[in-house]
Amino acid sequence: MTLETDDYSSMKRRLILRDTLTFLSLTLITVVLFAITLFLFRSFAAHREQLAQRWSDRGQAALQSGHPDQAIVALRTALSYAPGERSYELLLAQALGDAGRYEESYNYFLVLWETQPGDGFINLSLARLAARKNDIQAAVNYYRASIYGTWEGDGTVRRREVRLELTRHLIAHHDLSSARTEILIAGGNAPDDLPLNLTLAALLEQADAPRDALHYYQKILLQHPKDEAALAAAGRLEYESGNFEEARRLLEQAIRENETAGSSHEEIAPDIRLMFDHSERILALAPSNKLPPVERVNRILKARDIAKKRFSSCNAQVSAASGLASPLQNLGSKWTDKEAALSRAALLKDPPEQDATMKLIFDTEAQTEKICGAPTGDDALLLLLAKYPKAMEP
Amino acid sequence: MEKLPTMAERKSPGPNATSEEMIARIAPGREERVFLLLSIFIGVISGLLVVSFRMAIAWLSVLLLGSSPNPHQPRLLIVPAIAGMVIALLSRYVFPNVRGSGINQTKAALYIHNGYISFRTVIGKFLLSALAIGSGHSLGPEDPSLQIGAGVASLISRRVGMSKEKLRIFAPIGAAAGLAAAFNAPISAILFVIEEVIGQWSAAVLGSIVLSAISSVVVARSFWGAEPMFRIPAVTLRDSRELLAYAVLGVVGGFASLIFAKSLSYLRPKLRSQPQWSQLFQPALAGLLVGGIGYFGLTQVMGAGYEAMDQAMHAQFVWQMLLLLALFKIIATTLSFSSGTPGGMFAPTLFVGAMLGAAVGSFEKLYFPHLTGSIGSYALVGMGVLFAAFLRAPLTSVFMVMEVSGNYSIVLPVILANTIAYLISRVLQPVPILEQFTHQDGLDLPSMEEQREESNLHLEDAIQPVTVPVLQGSDTLEDALKALTQYPDANADTAVLIHCSDGLWYTARREELEALDYKPLSETIAPTVSHIDVPVRTLAERLGPERTPVLFPDLPLSSALPHFQRWPLLPITNRAMRGSLEGVVSLQDVLNRYQRH
Repeated sequence: MTLETDDYSSMKRRLILRDTLTFLSLTLITVVLFAITLFLFRSFAAHREQLAQRWSDRGQAALQSGHPDQAIVALRTALSYAPGERSYELLLAQALGDAGRYEESYNYFLVLWETQPGDGFINLSLARLAARKNDIQAAVNYYRASIYGTWEGDGTVRRREVRLELTRHLIAHHDLSSARTEILIAGGNAPDDLPLNLTLAALLEQADAPRDALHYYQKILLQHPKDEAALAAAGRLEYESGNFEEARRLLEQAIRENETAGSSHEEIAPDIRLMFDHSERILALAPSNKLPPVERVNRILKARDIAKKRFSSCNAQVSAASGLASPLQNLGSKWTDKEAALSRAALLKDPPEQDATMKLIFDTEAQTEKICGAPTGDDALLLLLAKYPKAMEP
Repeated sequence: MEKLPTMAERKSPGPNATSEEMIARIAPGREERVFLLLSIFIGVISGLLVVSFRMAIAWLSVLLLGSSPNPHQPRLLIVPAIAGMVIALLSRYVFPNVRGSGINQTKAALYIHNGYISFRTVIGKFLLSALAIGSGHSLGPEDPSLQIGAGVASLISRRVGMSKEKLRIFAPIGAAAGLAAAFNAPISAILFVIEEVIGQWSAAVLGSIVLSAISSVVVARSFWGAEPMFRIPAVTLRDSRELLAYAVLGVVGGFASLIFAKSLSYLRPKLRSQPQWSQLFQPALAGLLVGGIGYFGLTQVMGAGYEAMDQAMHAQFVWQMLLLLALFKIIATTLSFSSGTPGGMFAPTLFVGAMLGAAVGSFEKLYFPHLTGSIGSYALVGMGVLFAAFLRAPLTSVFMVMEVSGNYSIVLPVILANTIAYLISRVLQPVPILEQFTHQDGLDLPSMEEQREESNLHLEDAIQPVTVPVLQGSDTLEDALKALTQYPDANADTAVLIHCSDGLWYTARREELEALDYKPLSETIAPTVSHIDVPVRTLAERLGPERTPVLFPDLPLSSALPHFQRWPLLPITNRAMRGSLEGVVSLQDVLNRYQRH
């Protein structure tokens, strides 16, 4: 009995010892295997990192040198070694777009967007691609998301640039009131920077907001009174809104600034010079109310002669072609009235007749333009005056 | 050729048998405890090996195909061909058991070789599969990982000296660990092993399988990180009309899996029936052809193809290209696998599924832009579809998609598409591809699909109405015998049911009752009781304490079989009312029912 118990105990001890040794060996093997795997894995991971970096550098270089197809291959390779690496993914999406694979690029950016819907750059890229696809509303939405999105570095500047890009998009698609709002918001947050203000003013012009644009140019001129571009643009706006006197002043100054800038400076635009000439001529022609009565009447008589000649030539042209046109017939009867042939003295005595004569002149220029085409020379300037009769007021 | 132990060897009692008995006597619960602990070790070691295996594939790929394999690189043609030649030589002369994917080999280890997978096979599988996949053969690393895990389990369990019964069970435990580490998805791996290797849920191994799979995934994630295998884009199903598109995907996937399976089941036996010398060149030729596909433009089909799957999931291909990739992947995988190159079918199946799914998704986006499903979600469902239809693992396929995506909103499309694809595949290809491979290899492993769908018979399926005499246990023997005279057909063999007072039943033959009549009372009751003291005894008392077993209609039909040696007829009683008779079954009834099944 005792012998059996001893045997039993010794076997049990041996079994425990065997199991302990087995598990110790297993633990040791596991630890050694883990260490070896870890060592290999670190080397493997480092190698993959190097490969990813190398291919990403190649991709970036190809992208910068204008070879987006090569960049795509390189960046895809880089991503195979560093899956999910954000910067590579962004570059790849960009390269796809640059290579003209807009649909792929759009889809790629969309996938990136799903994980980072607030990223400014991704939203901007999506906006550009949506605009290219002519998906106007989607583009606007992405532009707005980009403006309110996150940006690395100087977010304020990037957001303003995106807003201006959105403005251009809106202008291109004739949503001018939204464009104007965006420009005004951009301007409200913008620093007093000359090129920026010039851009904002130019965009306001394109957004059919000349008054706002003029306001911006005036703001610029307050700080930079000799800025040629601002002078020219403001002069043009004044001219186009019928403020010929102010236009002449600004345009003259612009031309003077251009001339003083020297020959190395770019020549002023011909249309600015022409506008200046026209302004001068209009001011010389216009029978402004602030002129002395004699001078005013003289100008009215001169304008009446010009308009009458225009009527006669247009009338002859129409008669030669197809008989008398009815609007001109009506106008012709006015020209044959005695009021249309009042003398200087009569006009001087009767200021209402002065206005009636001016109305006849303006009607003539307007109607002959419709029938005989756009006038030239002084007729054209009288027509301009007809459009802005307030130019004759003091 | 290394010799594997057969079932006969497994059955024959060896010297181990006595030592096993001894150990069982000394430490009764030892094996169960060791079993669980070993499962963890198997999981950890399998995880480490699978991490190394994947590293080896990636390293070899860079080394052999360059860091950026692109079309028109001559090495795309040369490398897979030379690698194929090396693989053929090594698998012929050094590692003879490494051909194939690894799933059937693991099943064979479980059902034929007593859980035995040699160390040489593990090494061979590791090296040759890594070389094949790394050199561009269109195969995947998951199935070899499964076999590597099973091999590790086999090796460890043999060294520790587990019982033969346990040795067998270790193979699926290691398989789950290997697959879980390779796929970074423990639940899918566990389900796959249960669905495809073991064939049925077994509480005995489930705990160990879970332990090993989780351990291996923890190890794998400590290296690769916790990210899932694929970067899954947002998956949504907002419009129920989209289910139609998923149904279309199910149909497309079902037919694609059919083409895939048909081409494999055609080419593989054709190539295997070629002369031995020509089989040495088959992997090289397959490598050349697969390399040719890559050389002329579709490098994505080479290797496992995870990057291409990722790209498809992130909408980087147009639908025409996606269909082209799916088609050429089927061709490339058929060539690589049929040539006997070791490597798995998982990754190619997922690849084809992802491409088809993304193609359907892209098509839908193009022509039905109002539907909101992302291309990624279609690709993901496509993977599940092919998995269900080609590998015939419908349960795993659903859980795989959910586990990989981490999104349960996709479950409805997955179930819909998978079911359609699975049904198409089943109807048009009744024998699953893995089963076909086993038949081609001359093996006869159990069909997991049949096992899964086998309807278990119950006692209620064989139950018959009571037509035999029913007596009360409270009657006297004389009354009982008198009552039996009312049954003129009853002969000596006729069974009689006796309802005893304790609610239980006793089945006796008539001759047994008649024998009681001649037996002195003292023989049927306790010998200490005096004959003179005992009054007239009831029938139940004379029959003694023994009763027929209590059986209910819902019990398995097989549960009745052991009792027919003792009892001629078994009463089936109601669970709700003790002793209430539902009917009876005889051995003949049971056999008749089995024969009808």
